[in-house]
Amino acid sequence: MINNFPWLTTIIFLPLAGSFLALFFARRPMFCRWTSLWVSLADLFLVAWLFTSNLQRHSWSTGKWLLAEDHPWIESLGIRYSLGLDGISLMLIFLTTFLTVLCILVSWKEINAKVGTFHFFLLFLETSIMGVFLATDLFLFYLFWEIQIIPMFFLIGIWGHEERVYATVKFILFTLAGSLFMLIALTGLYLIHGAKTSLYTFSLYQLIQTPLGFSTELWLYGAFLLAFAIKIPIFPVHTWLPDAHTQAPTAGSVILAGLLLKTGAYALLRFGFPLFPVAARFSVPLLLALGLIGLFYAAWIALAQKDLKRLVAYSSVGHMGIVVIGIAVWNTMTLSGATLQMINHGLTTSALFILVGMLDERVHTREIANFGGFWKKMPGFSAFFLFFAMASLGLPGLNNFVGEFLVLVGTIKTWPLVTWFGFAGLVLTVIYILTVVQKTVFEETRNEKFREQPLADITVREVLILAPLALAVLFIGLHPQPVLDLFEGPVGVLIGFLK
Amino acid sequence: MQPNWVDILPLILLAGGGFLVFCLGGFWKARPQGLLFAVALATAIAAGAAAILLKPDQTHFLKMVEISGYGRFFTFLLTLITTLSLLFSYQYVKLRGIGGDEFYGLLLLSGLGMILVASALHWLVFFLGLETLSLSLYVLIAIRKPQSASNEAGLKYFMMGAVASAFLTFGIAMVYAATGKMDILQSLSPNIQAVSSPAMLLGLSLILIGIGFKISMVPFHLWTPDVYQGAPAPVTAFLATGSKVALFSALLRFAFYYARNSVWNDYVFVFWILAFLTMAVGNITALAQVRVKRLLAYSSIAQMGYLLMTLLAVREGGVLAIMFYLSVYALMDLGAFGTLATLSEEDEDLDSLEDFRGLAYVHPWRSALLTVCLVSLAGLPPTAGFIGKFILFRAVLQSHFVVLAALGIVTVIVSIYFYFKIIVALFIQPAERKPVTPDLDLFARVAGIAILVLILWLGLLPSALLSSITRILPLSLQLG
Repeated sequence: MINNFPWLTTIIFLPLAGSFLALFFARRPMFCRWTSLWVSLADLFLVAWLFTSNLQRHSWSTGKWLLAEDHPWIESLGIRYSLGLDGISLMLIFLTTFLTVLCILVSWKEINAKVGTFHFFLLFLETSIMGVFLATDLFLFYLFWEIQIIPMFFLIGIWGHEERVYATVKFILFTLAGSLFMLIALTGLYLIHGAKTSLYTFSLYQLIQTPLGFSTELWLYGAFLLAFAIKIPIFPVHTWLPDAHTQAPTAGSVILAGLLLKTGAYALLRFGFPLFPVAARFSVPLLLALGLIGLFYAAWIALAQKDLKRLVAYSSVGHMGIVVIGIAVWNTMTLSGATLQMINHGLTTSALFILVGMLDERVHTREIANFGGFWKKMPGFSAFFLFFAMASLGLPGLNNFVGEFLVLVGTIKTWPLVTWFGFAGLVLTVIYILTVVQKTVFEETRNEKFREQPLADITVREVLILAPLALAVLFIGLHPQPVLDLFEGPVGVLIGFLK
Repeated sequence: MQPNWVDILPLILLAGGGFLVFCLGGFWKARPQGLLFAVALATAIAAGAAAILLKPDQTHFLKMVEISGYGRFFTFLLTLITTLSLLFSYQYVKLRGIGGDEFYGLLLLSGLGMILVASALHWLVFFLGLETLSLSLYVLIAIRKPQSASNEAGLKYFMMGAVASAFLTFGIAMVYAATGKMDILQSLSPNIQAVSSPAMLLGLSLILIGIGFKISMVPFHLWTPDVYQGAPAPVTAFLATGSKVALFSALLRFAFYYARNSVWNDYVFVFWILAFLTMAVGNITALAQVRVKRLLAYSSIAQMGYLLMTLLAVREGGVLAIMFYLSVYALMDLGAFGTLATLSEEDEDLDSLEDFRGLAYVHPWRSALLTVCLVSLAGLPPTAGFIGKFILFRAVLQSHFVVLAALGIVTVIVSIYFYFKIIVALFIQPAERKPVTPDLDLFARVAGIAILVLILWLGLLPSALLSSITRILPLSLQLG
């Protein structure tokens, strides 16, 4: 029975329905907030229910999935509306619905202008992100991939900080530059497949079996990789990220760091490597090198940051470097680690962005130099900040440790040097995070103006936002096995593609 | 064979309606704007309905006008363009006291010319249609007599049009001299000995130049921004869409016929260069524009570039792609210029990018429509522009013009910047002054909603249009 109802479509498009509701009642801000909250909660419960319903793997016409949908859409072009859910995408849509609920709560007080439009774009974005995680038709995937840029553009542009126009235009130009080349490669792959098998299709399952010449494969893979690398972001094409993150409103930063970057890594894992195995193998050294450079570079740059939000943004580049290494090595351990690390990064970095947002609401600045002495002034806030900072630097017992450890230990057999450099990079991460914790929480601020300013500790609403995140961080840190079990099946399938 | 006059009912209706509007204007001292508009609108709708509903037995009318699928497709599209332009112009014309009879009548006659161009099977009919279309447009562009910009634009378009016509006439004469045929299909068919003779090639080049002027192909595009900026916004909407769709459909027909010759292969590189130049110049020049109408003018040049690129693929899938994209292009540009028309201030159209700042919070619906049109022009989902561009690039890649497709994509990336420049102004930058714009009237509202729905519908469910194009294609171009 569970298989006949279009659950995936419902999960994807429920937020879209909510978004239009928010738009039409734009004149009543409280109504918009509550409607969006209820809709996103409903979606979260739907996904949670999928978790508990013990789905079994089935063979569908589009591959093996826990749940799948497949309908003809634009038949004359061989485009189908096909969705597939496996353990990896299940975990990622869980993260998506979870973070969206938090985003709405975070924006409750922060967003006071154009509330209806804000929630419209937020929920619209949720729909498009979940579409990326579930699509198994390359055209459908591309459609969602491109659509997600538009609401993000408006979220940064309308509700962002001072330099928002620059940041949002840079964001859109970078991401579109990558994805339009991917469109060409995508079409090329589709035509080559069509010419060889006379079956014109965008089905991932079919296209994986396309025989390609080496140089063609390299070109096509290059175009895909560029698009994914910009989104992830991998070192030389990451420059849009600090600007976009810093200028976005808190909810925007959370979605950007927690989810949008994940779409890039997920696409590399689900589409990039399986579609072009030979070229992907060829690119492994490059990806490893860039991942490591990202790790070191982020740590180095982060040390010099004056803006706390920018610092957290750079830490994303470092963490995603680990994910890239995990994907590039491509064995069972590193893939599980990389996927887990995607979830982990989504949780901790979002939490840090939320905390910075709360600071900004109180102190009205993001300058590290203006912060200090929070341990005395706001003990509750400081506890949470310390906790998530520790998670971010990879303290054993918290979530990031598990993911990083799996990736680096899994790497040691084939690329020992990468492991050693990776651990060295993590030490640098520890240094910059401890420095910033020291400066903000414990030390007194050097700026006289802010020293005597009284600050309110976190409210119940804020605890409600942070506590679930903290629990998730603890859960994955102490007992990651249930999550890793979810990844086992899909990772096995993915490994099979590169044999 | 007895000619069946009902077969060309759309043409008769448009001609009759145009003259009726002219005559009615004479009976009243003060022009009955409402009545004239109603007659014009009814004519356009009736012509469109006739194009869809009548299914002629024959494929051509006296070997002059094609009335099978291809012709009827463009007849319908062009009447749709005429109808939407009429809807956008009602309030504009009324508020500014432009004589209703000449405006509506000329719009209908111009539409008639466009249909003749799109469905001509005879060089003379083609020329006749082109002149009908151009002459009406010369007047329409300059219809705001007190305004020097409008007059200048009209004069400029007239000069350029006259030169283009001269090229065309001479080209047609050369083709006739080389082949001895005035029938388009026969003169371009592979059976003719002279198909690659110097006279023929000269003639075809001249025709290409003439059409190139009209579709603003680089390097014959220089008039475009000035004319688009000077013309009243509803006329710009009509000019940018109708005249380009009509001439491009004619160009596509000629290319399709001529591509059956092996000579075509030797001249593909000419189109390669022209297409690349048109895309590059259009998109790159648009970057520097600070006036919205000029920006959209360069954008429309670039759009023609994408279509020219696809003309290279005319042998494989290109025809379908171009027909689809022309329909999408018409909707997007009509929406964009039409919105500008409704936003116009009393004496001047809203034009400077600064005037658009913060407009989204004063006129949310119009801004939303403009945004959707711009997003569609930029080729992003979920709009029709995305599917259209995908089909274009698919056709180009299928014909193995990979380098051109890659260069095309680079220009598309460039174009994202200036399309979003307008969106940034609308939504993000704070308003500096508040433009005094009239409320949206019923007719413009209908047109706006129709365009919005069509762009999103074609973007998400293009199957219906694609399959109907696929269905009519095999019948219509293979005559003779």
